[in-house]
Amino acid sequence: MIISVFLISSIVFALLAYIIKRPILSHFVTFLYSVFLCIFVGYEYLHINQTQATYFKPDAIGIIFLIVQAIVDLISIIHYYNYTKSRGDHPKSISVHNMGRIIFNMSIAGVLLANHFGVLWVFMEITTLALSLLIYHDRTTTALEGTWKYVFICSIGIAIAFAGVLFLSIGANEVGIKDLFYDQVKEKVTLINPLWLKACFIFILTGFSVKMGLVPLFNVDIDAKDVSPSPVGAKLSSVVMNSGFVAIFRFYDALSGSSIFTWMNHVLLIVGTMSLLFVVAYSLKVNNVKRLLAYSSMEHAALVIIAFACGGLGYFIAILHLIIHSLVKSTLFFQFAQMHRIFKDKNYLNMGAYLKINPLGALVLFLSYISIIGFPPSCMFITEILIFRSIIDSQYAWLAIVIGFFMLFIIYGMSVRIFHILMGKPGVKEFDEKGKNNLESLIQLVVISAVFYLGIVKPDVVVNYIAMAVSTLPH
Amino acid sequence: MEYLINLIVVAYIVSLIYLAKVELLKTYVKILLVQGLIIFFVALAELKEVDILHLMFVLVETLVFKAIFVPLFMQRVIKRSKQTKNSGMYIKPYISVILATVMVAISFALVESIHDEHLEIKYFTAAISSIMIGLYVGINHRDIITHLISYMIIENGIFLIALALGGEMPILVNSAILLDIFSTILIMGMFFNKIKNYFNSTDETELTKLKD
Repeated sequence: MIISVFLISSIVFALLAYIIKRPILSHFVTFLYSVFLCIFVGYEYLHINQTQATYFKPDAIGIIFLIVQAIVDLISIIHYYNYTKSRGDHPKSISVHNMGRIIFNMSIAGVLLANHFGVLWVFMEITTLALSLLIYHDRTTTALEGTWKYVFICSIGIAIAFAGVLFLSIGANEVGIKDLFYDQVKEKVTLINPLWLKACFIFILTGFSVKMGLVPLFNVDIDAKDVSPSPVGAKLSSVVMNSGFVAIFRFYDALSGSSIFTWMNHVLLIVGTMSLLFVVAYSLKVNNVKRLLAYSSMEHAALVIIAFACGGLGYFIAILHLIIHSLVKSTLFFQFAQMHRIFKDKNYLNMGAYLKINPLGALVLFLSYISIIGFPPSCMFITEILIFRSIIDSQYAWLAIVIGFFMLFIIYGMSVRIFHILMGKPGVKEFDEKGKNNLESLIQLVVISAVFYLGIVKPDVVVNYIAMAVSTLPH
Repeated sequence: MEYLINLIVVAYIVSLIYLAKVELLKTYVKILLVQGLIIFFVALAELKEVDILHLMFVLVETLVFKAIFVPLFMQRVIKRSKQTKNSGMYIKPYISVILATVMVAISFALVESIHDEHLEIKYFTAAISSIMIGLYVGINHRDIITHLISYMIIENGIFLIALALGGEMPILVNSAILLDIFSTILIMGMFFNKIKNYFNSTDETELTKLKD
C-alpha cells in the first residue's frame, strides 16, 4: 500500500513542480518531496523484509542505498537552488529539472526496492529518461551532445540488459519458475541451465555498466557528468552509480548459488581491472576537473567490483566503500560548483590559489581529496586497505600488485590537479569572489566530518545492515 | 500454418540483411513497418492464452506500437529533418550486406549449438540476428536518424527473444516495459529534433565537442 502511495505521490509532486513556473515555489515543492522521501525511507526502514504491492520488498541493501539517496537529495536541493540563482536560469528549465528530479528519485527508489527482475529493469529505464531532463538542464550544444549520447547509449545498454533478463527467463521457465522474483530464482538457480545464466550475467553486466560507470559503456557516463549541472553530477556519481551496483548485485546474489559463481567472479575481475586501466589512461591527461571527478568515480566503481569479485570480506567492504564514496564524491561535485562560479572555468590550469580565495571551500576540497585518494584518517583509507586485503586473501593475490600500480598513477594525476587548484597560480586573471558560499561549504564540511567519523567509529547499525545485506552471498 | 510462419521469419531476416545497405531514409520506415507487421502476425500465431486481455495487449504492443506508431513517428521525424538520404556509412553498402549475412549465419550456428528443446530456434535466430545487425547498423552509420532506427531494430530483436522463450512476464510488468520503450522513443525523437535545430545536421561527426 505505502509503495503505491509513494509512486502516486511522486507523480503528483512531479506534476506540481512542472506546473508551478515560479522558481521559488517549484524549489519548495522539491524540498517538500525530499522531506516526503525521508519519511518514506524511515517507513521502509521500520518495515524491512516485508513484501509490498507484490513487486517490492525493502531489504538491507535497498534500505542502505535508499538512505544514501535521501541524504544526497536533501543536500543537493540547497546546491541546486544556489546554482540556478547564480546563473539566473529560466523558470522553465528549473521546473523541468525539478520534475525530472522527482521522477528520478522515484525511479531510483523503485530500483532499490524491487524484488522482481522485470520491475527492476522498468525502473532502471525510467532513471535514464528522468536523467535526460536533468543532464540537458543548461540547454547548451555540449549539454545536448552529452544528453543525446547518454540517452542513446543508455537505451541500448538497458535494452541489452533486458535481453539478459529474458535469457534468465528462458532458463527459469524450463525449471518451472513462473515469475522472476529474486527469491524464486535464487531458490531454484542450481536447476537452471548454466548457459542461460552466463548469457544473462554477461548481458546484465554490459547493460548496467553504463549506470555504474564501468567498462564497456562508461564513456557516456563521463560526458554526462561533465555537461550536467554539478548537483546532477553529484547524483550521477553517487545515487546512479549505487543503483547500477544494486542491479548487478541482485543478479549476482540470485545466481551465486549456481555453478557459474566462479565464472561470474572472473568476469567481474576482468571488468574491474579493465576499468582501472582506462582510468589510468584518461585521468593522466584530463584537464577538465569535472571529468577528473568522473574518472575518479569510475576508479572507485572498479575497486568496488574487484572487491566484490574477491568475495569474503570484499562483499562487506565493497558496500561500505560505495556508501563513503557517494558522500565524498557528491561533496566534491558540490564544491566544484563554487569553484566554477569563482573561476568560470572547468580547466584546472585556469584555477589556482583557492586556499587564499575561498579558505573554507579549500578546506572542504582538501578533506574530500584526502578521502577520495584513501589517505588516513579517512574512512576510505580503511576501506581501500581492506579491499587490498580481500584481494590478497583471495586466489588473485597477484592482482593486488597490478591494482596498486594503477592506483599510484591515478593518485598522482589527482594530486597534481587538486594541489594546483589549492595553491597554484591561477590561469585566469579575474575571478568572481561572489561565487563563494560559506553555507554550502559548511554543509559539505558536515558531510565530510561524518565520513571521517565513520572511519574512526564504525556505528553498529551501519555494520549490522551491511552484514545483513551480504549474508545471503556465499562466503 | 507452421510453413507460413517459417516463411515470414525468413522474410524478417531478409529485411535485416537489406537494412544493412539502405541509404534512403523512407526505406527505413518501410522496413520498420514490414517488421512490425511480421511481429504482429507471429505474436498472434503464438498466443497461448486467448482471452481478451492478452489479445488486446498483443494488439497494442505489436500492431499499434510496432507496426503503426513507430513507422509513423519515424516518418514524421524524417520529414521534419528534411533529409532523404542518410549521412553515409563507414563500411560500404555491399560489404555491409555480406557482413549482415555472416551475422545471420553466426546467429544460426550459435542457436543451433544451444540444443535446448524449449527454445523456438527460428525466433531465436531472428532475434539474435536482429540484435547483432541492429548494433552493426548503429555503429556503421554516421547519421543519428539511423541510430534511432538501430535502437528500434534491437527492440524488435528483444521482442523476438521473448517470443522464443514461450513464457511471458505478468501483464503489469509487460505494460510497464512497453510504456518505457514508448517513452524512450519519444524522448530520443525529441532530442533528435533539437540536434537538427542546433547543429543543422544529423551527422554524428558534429557531436564531437566533448573530449578529455
